[in-house]
Amino acid sequence: MISSLSFINQKGEILIYRVYKDDISRSEITQFCAKMIATKENKESPIINIDQTSFIHISIKDIIILATTKTDVNVAMVLEFLYQLSKICKSYFQGILDENCIKKSFVLIYEILDEVLDYGIPQIADPNLLQKFIQEGGMQQEATISIDKFRSLTGTITGAVSWRPPGLHYDKNELYLDIIESVNLLISAKDTVLRAEVVGSIELKSKLTGMPECQIGMNDKLLMGKQARMTKQNGGIVIDDMKFHPCVGLPKFEKDRTITFIPPDGHFQLMSYRISENINIPFKVNVFYSEISENKLEIRLKIKSIYDKNVYGTNIAVKVPVPKNTVNVVSATGLGKAKHEIEEQSVIWRIKKLQGDVETSLRCEISLGATNRDQTWSKPPLKMEFQIPMFTSSGFRVRFLKVMEKGAYKTNKWIRYLTRGGDYLHRL
Amino acid sequence: MAYFGNNPQRGELQELYADLNDLNFEKKKEAVKKVIAYMTVGKDVSDLFQSVIKCLEFNDIEMKKLIYLYIVNYSRQKPDDAIMVIQNFRKDVRKSENPLVRALAIRTFGCLRVPKLNEYLIEPLKDCIQDDDPYVRKTAVLCVPKVYEVSPEICPPLLEILQKLLEKESNALVLANLIQSMREIEVVSGKQIINLNQKIIQKLLLAVDECIEWGQIFILDYLATYNPQDSKQAEVIIERTLPRLSHINPTVTFCAVKVILKYLDFLDNGELVKNLCKKVAPSLISLLSWNQPEVQYTILRNISLILQKFPILFENDVKVFFCSFNEPYYIKYEKLDIMVRICDSKNFAQVLNELLIYLNEADPHFVRKTIKSIGKIAITYDKALDKAVSILVEFAKNIQSPTEPVQELLIQMQLIYKKSKQMYKHEDSLKVIYSIIDYANESESKSACAWIVGEFGEFIPKSVEKMKEYIDNFQMEDRLVQLQLLTSAVQLYLKYPSQCSALIQQLIVSAKDSFNPDVRDRTYIYWRLLSTDPEIVKNLVCFNSGTFSNFSKDLRLWETQDLVLALENMGSISNLFHKLPHQLYKNIKIKVNNQQEVKIYKGEEKPETQVKEQQDENQQNIQKEQQQDIDLLNFDDPPVNNNKNNNSNKTDLFELI
Repeated sequence: MISSLSFINQKGEILIYRVYKDDISRSEITQFCAKMIATKENKESPIINIDQTSFIHISIKDIIILATTKTDVNVAMVLEFLYQLSKICKSYFQGILDENCIKKSFVLIYEILDEVLDYGIPQIADPNLLQKFIQEGGMQQEATISIDKFRSLTGTITGAVSWRPPGLHYDKNELYLDIIESVNLLISAKDTVLRAEVVGSIELKSKLTGMPECQIGMNDKLLMGKQARMTKQNGGIVIDDMKFHPCVGLPKFEKDRTITFIPPDGHFQLMSYRISENINIPFKVNVFYSEISENKLEIRLKIKSIYDKNVYGTNIAVKVPVPKNTVNVVSATGLGKAKHEIEEQSVIWRIKKLQGDVETSLRCEISLGATNRDQTWSKPPLKMEFQIPMFTSSGFRVRFLKVMEKGAYKTNKWIRYLTRGGDYLHRL
Repeated sequence: MAYFGNNPQRGELQELYADLNDLNFEKKKEAVKKVIAYMTVGKDVSDLFQSVIKCLEFNDIEMKKLIYLYIVNYSRQKPDDAIMVIQNFRKDVRKSENPLVRALAIRTFGCLRVPKLNEYLIEPLKDCIQDDDPYVRKTAVLCVPKVYEVSPEICPPLLEILQKLLEKESNALVLANLIQSMREIEVVSGKQIINLNQKIIQKLLLAVDECIEWGQIFILDYLATYNPQDSKQAEVIIERTLPRLSHINPTVTFCAVKVILKYLDFLDNGELVKNLCKKVAPSLISLLSWNQPEVQYTILRNISLILQKFPILFENDVKVFFCSFNEPYYIKYEKLDIMVRICDSKNFAQVLNELLIYLNEADPHFVRKTIKSIGKIAITYDKALDKAVSILVEFAKNIQSPTEPVQELLIQMQLIYKKSKQMYKHEDSLKVIYSIIDYANESESKSACAWIVGEFGEFIPKSVEKMKEYIDNFQMEDRLVQLQLLTSAVQLYLKYPSQCSALIQQLIVSAKDSFNPDVRDRTYIYWRLLSTDPEIVKNLVCFNSGTFSNFSKDLRLWETQDLVLALENMGSISNLFHKLPHQLYKNIKIKVNNQQEVKIYKGEEKPETQVKEQQDENQQNIQKEQQQDIDLLNFDDPPVNNNKNNNSNKTDLFELI
């Protein structure tokens, strides 16, 4: 399996280095750092093989986490493990993983590395669980914690419900649900939809007492088709694929498509889903580029929000690409503001709030400089970013969320929906 | 605390030494941390070994961990000092009531990797494998391969215990680690250690539901190497694996896909196979839009394998592989590659329209690869030829400098003309291509241009002048270009004997003394032939072939008989590089595929598998022949049915010389 793990900065310096197997030498890593990372060649492929040694790495901002191996390991597993490791580190450092916090807390990281891999084989990689027995500044002295606590801890780690410790208590039992959808859209220059896809997720924050068993139900067509009492007009939507947090009982889902789970404590992603049928595209966009004169270009853009009138889109940003040699932009907008941003090579039109079923437009006059005139400008696609609360592009809805626990307490539940622009592109 | 300080000077080491031996606990602890910091940056602090291990007396778990880390790092350098720690380990393993401490001790003990210490390890390890606490058990189980690697001779009793544990263990996590641990030993020893039976398989399948994600991966990975006894068993295993397709960890999903695809071969029920394919496909597609590009990349690299054995999975899904503007290029390259593979006589228009967009990208490598892909599609699918050439010609019209894509364009146009000479008429393609011929600056593209000038001399204005230009620079060219120039010049000479005779003279003079034997030999052959019988030369270099129907390229990446083995290893490093494990790793034994016939899963409308396979095989052979021709003499790909004719030419030729 994995022979060694290292944390490396952008200059190729090793910040953390932990060996799990004897078949790798530090000099191989330093060579790799000098050759590949310092020269940025590592950007060309995440897996590099040199003399039967495989270097597998991911980049988290400026930090590179590198695993090496000499055996024929499952690459996807190693990569996924590295990502989990980065998540673990972030959970200890308030969401940040940079050179400073690595240097400051290297003792802690070594402790983590000791626990997440054994002989290079992935072990516990659940941040919540690790925090139970690895803490910054060391655990409380052993004497003050009873041995029973440790026993119950190892029981949790190795048990079937490793994500939730027993004995939790809340005075107020609460559940927060966030349904977040990302719309990935690709529209050709001729206005045909090449690809429309929604990747969504349900994020849950649970503050529940005991060992509650929850069940969640959506307007999933396959499930609702089974329940005869549903009327036709309410037939549900086709969900291409769903992926669940380990806490969801998968065999049960496979059998009758019901989703039951014992939630971890706190915040987690319950599931992600993908839908490619009947996507409601939230905006209609029309763009016209016209050359007024040799060094003048006019762009006219119209967008129309095609969601319900009582829904509002927020933080809308339309990135309209302009040529490199743009000197000046004069723009007029119906709503919001447009600004030429040189680093982005585009005019960015921002609208704070846009009601449903509203049409608005942008007109830009672009003055071009004299350089590079002979090179034809290949337009990158127009990109849109936005957030639409209380709206789902796929029509996805949570129908119910039941909490069953011995205590039979009352649970307060809150639910929010949000759709945002993912890879939302119009080719020009 | 100094982390990235300078070298530990002698004075600093002494200071550390003093601190380590200080009576103040906090001071000691800080000193230990400093030692580890030095170790991290690669400084040698092994001299402090004795002082560091003395700090073990304190019952502080954080410090214990650090000291263990230190010991593991330096135990091999200081084996004699390391013996002193053994008592500590044994005490921890035997006496500590804290399972975490027991596990920590046995884990570190295993990492010492000093042969002579291992004998002290056997007894405590045995105890730990049979410990009451599953956490200790799973740690102990993983300790066995560590010992095996260093001292295999003392391990047989341990292996027996492992096999026994495999039969009676009930904790899912321990079981998963046990399987992985035994597989590690199998890799090191090259022997089969795991003995499966019906009951154990049942247990493993149950454990998949209960253990953490990594454990699920270990078990699924292992099951993928197992061959079920019959259709019934395959069905059971698939059934138990199916739920894993919905796991959030992409590797778990991917391993489940692997297991299911592998076991499909063993199913008798065709209807079931079809249903399963329908379930697997969307799951795989979700992985392709996974938001970690590195993971996406590994999946994409494996898709070519899946595509070859299971074309049915992506039948109508070419869109899934369309590149997104902001993706890293390593992903775009893979997608491009897959799009060409997935392209067929039905969806080629869709694919070509998409590739057309990529020609606008900024990265020249990517544009080059796009052009190559368009060329490949044109050559493979007759119906796509017109559209592909239109796209390429349109691209050529806008070319203004000798960029990388231009080189590829010229190379691909040559191949297209070779496939169908008539294409030169299509949208005046020849005229457009000829206008950019001066932008060729790589040997392969130059040779393509030389070929075009020779082949289409009569349609090109001033072709003789162009050839003269080439021949003036003959000495500076690469071997590849020189060889092509010889053939093309002769071709042109046959078309315009009077205008070219001086040219041929000049060429022969500059080529006959070439240092390169190939160039020299070819010069002499042409020279002799031209001076004896120009007609024979005509047969050699000019073919009015029309369209070659056998030009089709073989897009398969894997040998058909390797598919089954490759599938077992899906996701591994070797597979990522499109190789079988033993091809990449010398120490892995060649595994023989016992399945006689390799099943290919296609959609319904397509023709019988077997026939298609044979055709492929034939095409491959033909292609090989063609390639030989090109390599040896560059006879401009004689059509295969002319082979006999060709051979007789060759005999004549030898007699003449």
